Amino acid sequence: MNPHGWGAVADDATGRALVEVALDAVDGRAEYADVRLVEAEELRVYRQSGADVDERVEHTLGIGVRVLVDGVWGFAARPLAEGADAAEAAHRAHALAVAARGASEPVRLPDIDVHSGRYETEVEHDPFATTQDVRHALLTDALDAASAPRHVVSAQAGVNAKRQHRHFGNSVGSRQHQHFMESGVLVMVTAAGHGDVQRRSYPNSFHGDTGAAGWEFVVGRDLVANAARVGEEAVALLTAPVAPSGTADVVLGGQQMSLQIHESAGHALELDRMIGDEANFAGTSFIGVHDIGSLRYGSPAVTITSDPTLPGTRGSFAFDDEGTPARRRTLVDRGIVRDTLSTLDSSARTGAALTGAARSDGWAYTPVCFATHVYLEPGRVSLDELCDRLGEGIYAEDNRSWSIDEQRLNFQFGTEVAYEVRGGKRGRLLKNFSYGGITPQFWGSVEAVADDLRIFGYPCGKGEPKQWSFLSHGAPSTLVRGVRIGVA
Amino acid sequence: MDFAAPVDIGRATGLLADAVRAADADHVDATLLARAGEYTRFAGERVHQPQDITEQQVVVRAVVDGHAARVATSALDRVADAVRRATAIASGLARTASAPGSAWTPQHRDTDDHVLWHDDTAAFDAPARVAIAAEAMTRARRAGTTAAGMVGRAVTQLAVASSTGALRHVVATEATGSLTVGDRDGSAHWANLHRSRDALGLDAASVADTVARAVRTRGRQPLPDGSYTVVLGPEATCELLGFLGVLGFDGGPAQAGVGVTSRPGQRVASELVTVADDASHPFGLPIPFDVLGTTKAVVPLLTAGLVGGPVTDRTGHTHVAREAVPSPVAANVVMTPGAQGDLVAGVENGLYIERFWYTRLVDRQAGTITGVSRDACFRIVDGEPADPVRGARFTQSVFDLLATVDGVGDVLRAQPIMNVWNGSVTAPAIRAHGFRFGPR
Repeated sequence: MNPHGWGAVADDATGRALVEVALDAVDGRAEYADVRLVEAEELRVYRQSGADVDERVEHTLGIGVRVLVDGVWGFAARPLAEGADAAEAAHRAHALAVAARGASEPVRLPDIDVHSGRYETEVEHDPFATTQDVRHALLTDALDAASAPRHVVSAQAGVNAKRQHRHFGNSVGSRQHQHFMESGVLVMVTAAGHGDVQRRSYPNSFHGDTGAAGWEFVVGRDLVANAARVGEEAVALLTAPVAPSGTADVVLGGQQMSLQIHESAGHALELDRMIGDEANFAGTSFIGVHDIGSLRYGSPAVTITSDPTLPGTRGSFAFDDEGTPARRRTLVDRGIVRDTLSTLDSSARTGAALTGAARSDGWAYTPVCFATHVYLEPGRVSLDELCDRLGEGIYAEDNRSWSIDEQRLNFQFGTEVAYEVRGGKRGRLLKNFSYGGITPQFWGSVEAVADDLRIFGYPCGKGEPKQWSFLSHGAPSTLVRGVRIGVA
Repeated sequence: MDFAAPVDIGRATGLLADAVRAADADHVDATLLARAGEYTRFAGERVHQPQDITEQQVVVRAVVDGHAARVATSALDRVADAVRRATAIASGLARTASAPGSAWTPQHRDTDDHVLWHDDTAAFDAPARVAIAAEAMTRARRAGTTAAGMVGRAVTQLAVASSTGALRHVVATEATGSLTVGDRDGSAHWANLHRSRDALGLDAASVADTVARAVRTRGRQPLPDGSYTVVLGPEATCELLGFLGVLGFDGGPAQAGVGVTSRPGQRVASELVTVADDASHPFGLPIPFDVLGTTKAVVPLLTAGLVGGPVTDRTGHTHVAREAVPSPVAANVVMTPGAQGDLVAGVENGLYIERFWYTRLVDRQAGTITGVSRDACFRIVDGEPADPVRGARFTQSVFDLLATVDGVGDVLRAQPIMNVWNGSVTAPAIRAHGFRFGPR
């Protein structure tokens, strides 16, 4: 059975017909309009040790309409039951734009090309077709494995899946139909004893890990074996020495680096932040539009790429949420800022390149700049060779806490585990490792990058009202010199 | 444009009652969560994101042999299907489980209808919102600064029907406003939320005051690492109190024996600090019952600095988490105000901190969080605001700071709790000692 053949608007013609209703409602009354019709269904199955399975399914269907009237935007969204809802959303978006005309500098969009097409996530095994028995057995086995060591006081395991139909149309003639599937998995263990509480998680401490794939993504994560591992590590942390403070050379693992990229590179390169649109809540960026092409952001070892055309990630798509075709962009090239994550609006207002990074949470929110699949380009050495090059220092992995200021400059992270490295070899386990720094100084201290690129899916919140975006980051293990550690 | 509940009241209660009546499970509850919100975002010289968003979701929870499953849909004509699917999933859970489940099924039979409606909020339409945005942008420009913010109105609707016979409904207005005025590298912020637009306090005076504070941040200097006597503005206090849940007052940590509620009656804060989860308080986002229809009890969290108890599903704090095992959360946190209008006057040498940003838990055992200070922060010298200081990173135990509170302000402001439906924290300014900026 076709894993994308579910729901009310699986058929492109059905979706397109509803999109046309909304576009027709504002035809001739706006210089630009775009419409997103989204149907999504999400399956979440979680289990906490000692408790019942929590299983839920969430279905949503609605439409979001955005118009530009005399250079002023308006946006409205409605749950969808019939065509009248689509027209109502369009009329309401138009009314809001008209109401704001007198108070706004107008935006003039450049000519927009027509881009039409279809996209489907490749799926081997439909996660929605897996049986309850299979799902529950996996979680039970994972919890048993994670909870086996003495001092584990609680464990949580979960699987999740989401499928979406996204139909898009705009007033210049683009018609796009994208059908997504994603699957994910998590385990998190808490150990208590010896006057301490410690946590370990797998495969990502950030709500687990999710990728654009079917059930094969879950199977490929070997949840039970890794649950046993992190359970043992959580207990070992209870009696591990506290990581030192001061200044040290460190190798940061791929998971921790993926969050470092998210916070200090992805957000800092969002063009709407640079021009102040998000100043009230999410913040701005230490990078200005005038810095594009010249600012030294990191060392020559640092090349950061946005590439939603790569399949299998939570940031993979053919068109972003305002219809711009996905494209590979080098954001930071050997340490120099070259490009941004931009939208139609931010690109038109600044003259910066349009990079196709408009993302929105379902149908109900207006697209804003978010990361896509943004990753640190890998190097050519193995992790062992990187540690050998490190010599004396710390290897740290798996985020435990994170914080960064509103300009994306002053950050502080903690990791779940760290290891002493002596003579290039990993030694004692250390707990409560933390490090902090200033973004360009940190990236400027990157000496080398390993070849062990790993990819992690993330949720991310932004905008007012706050909306979620789902994206991905990839990172290899990375050697950084002179890092301030033990800061928390 | 009509400003009304997203779903007609009769239709909402009728479809939920019909759905639970037809269910073939031991227990079923059906909950409508809906919100019609209009938001005017502005930045620089533009209203850049005028938005009108209606969202609705019916969550059906079916319980079979103590095992619960939930199916949600945004489509009201699919509620009956959601009941069938939830029942099927719960039956599957019961079939494969080795023992009966422990899902809580409240037995209340309340049938009531609450209206928390403010006509002044209903009148806060798009032209009114654009007018206040224009006022902010104009005043900021005249002062050589820039303004960014959001103002909005919303109608929140919650309806619950249960197979025990309960049928509850509430409609509530919500007014929200926030403003950041930027001055080159400095800034000032104002924010509040309330069921009533008039009580929000967003007007020409508050805009002018925010602009003036931003101007005073010109020439701000780096803050040396160290421990300081601080006056935390209401927003900063709200941020701090927002951690009480994860530090032990939420049901999940409490049930796991993690956190401060394992020591009820112990002093962890100054006797000036009294905090409750109080969904009847007029500030914030009061609402009478939770998503299972359980009446929200007032839960003392800290009474004159002594530890109270956690919120639970029994106290009306059931919460549907998005990416975690659901557990009860403190959703209407209110700190009792004091009588002091000016806390700065009592400080010989210290800091005024307007708000915190990107705060995160570092150590649950010690109650330590990290974050940065943001916007209008000043040194205090001889009881007066003095030189502005830049935002700086801190790592600080919440309880260690609350233990030193020796002054509580008399003005309350409210902030939303992120990712908690209808959640808010309401607090005044506080004065405390030994706040640590810089690494440990």
